[in-house]
Amino acid sequence: MAGLVGLAIIAAIVPLNVAFLVLLERKVAGHIQLRPGPMEVAPHGILQTLADAVKLLGKEMVTPLSTDKIVFFLAPIIVVAPAFVGFVPIPFSPMMQIRDVNVGILLIFSFSSITVMSILMAGWGSNNKYALIGAVRSVAQNVAYEIPLLLATMSVIIMTNTFKLGAIAQAQSSVWYIFLQPVAAIIFFIATTAETNRAPFDLVEAESELVSGFHTEYTGMRFSLFFLAEYTNMVIAAALFTVLFLGGSSGPFFPGMIWFLIKTYFLIFVVMWIRWTYPRIRFDQLMNFAWKVLIPIALLNLLITAIVLKVI
Amino acid sequence: MQYVKEILVGGKSLIIGLWITLKRLFKPIVTVQYPRQKLTMTPNFRGHIEFIRFDDTKTHHCVACGLCARTCPSHVIKVQGEKTRAGDLKYGRQYYIDFSKCSLCGLCVDVCPECTLQFSKEYEYVFYHRWDTVLDIMGRLEGKR
Repeated sequence: MAGLVGLAIIAAIVPLNVAFLVLLERKVAGHIQLRPGPMEVAPHGILQTLADAVKLLGKEMVTPLSTDKIVFFLAPIIVVAPAFVGFVPIPFSPMMQIRDVNVGILLIFSFSSITVMSILMAGWGSNNKYALIGAVRSVAQNVAYEIPLLLATMSVIIMTNTFKLGAIAQAQSSVWYIFLQPVAAIIFFIATTAETNRAPFDLVEAESELVSGFHTEYTGMRFSLFFLAEYTNMVIAAALFTVLFLGGSSGPFFPGMIWFLIKTYFLIFVVMWIRWTYPRIRFDQLMNFAWKVLIPIALLNLLITAIVLKVI
Repeated sequence: MQYVKEILVGGKSLIIGLWITLKRLFKPIVTVQYPRQKLTMTPNFRGHIEFIRFDDTKTHHCVACGLCARTCPSHVIKVQGEKTRAGDLKYGRQYYIDFSKCSLCGLCVDVCPECTLQFSKEYEYVFYHRWDTVLDIMGRLEGKR
């Protein structure tokens, strides 16, 4: 029963949160470029995303003739599922957790790799060269960046000896792991940015070369499902960073939930800030960065952590 | 060593970049919210031509000499004069320009012997028809009165 209530809450929170994040993104982008961002719908454009959503709902869902119908149809549905499941094991506060799964981190990681599959399905099913190139890039990128992501997570896990997210958050009540594992934190942050296909790693939908990558052929609500999944994945990535490195819901004065949300949204802001600062990197640079820099450093970090833990 | 140096130098440059955009985030915006705020046009701005209203006659000084119409490279201008009585001075009665062909070269303004033409500061024209681009300059002066 509690699980059902939790799922209902997720289903309500996810679209609202995405609406808020899209607005936030546009506002951050605007103010970094010294312009105000959306201002027309409601004061300061706070209802802009709602208007956009209504517009997208009203649009026709075009299916091009030469697509692989089933794959094309399924891709946007599958892309949303992991975004919803990812919320299940996240401890917003010691009380606010839908289910403290024993293998919480593994659950999130395994479901997030389904996102890659659905992107590949979208790219393949579209029967469009841009979509296909975008999808292929996505697979290469996600395979490359999942390794440093897991290695960075491993260095935290061998410190706590548990996969439970709640327990990991509680283990940091004295000192946050970002101070004990700064290198792992940076690697984790970079890798999650790449995993969620955010700039500067958004080669999957590089609009200057690939139109809009894997969702080129998608219109209306199907397109917005991809959008929804992208922003929700961002929230999950930021929440995971909060749990692993920023002590989860610990903090003075306010209740834990508030602290958790402050930390998460600050991280999302940082991701947006990065997006509007850096240019997109080239694909060979992306691959070199993963295999030549991130993975060796993450391995070294894991090794040093293991040695230090053994010695102490 | 080169490898480590590259990472450190690169990381430093990334942080400098982030610092620049963070400062930008809190600066006041520089764009003008167009329909609500408008910029005043500079004196050099070239809109379509219009008549100057002189204080002595309370109207234009056009004598319908036709020099502007003749010098115009795109045949934009159509001017019609009128004499009320024989022996009287001729004065401009109707003045139309086809703004769709105008290249704003300003020869008409330069050539006018009475110096009664100037560039307007008009920049908000939207036309639904090609025919709407024909502007009644004389009527415009009347309307402004």
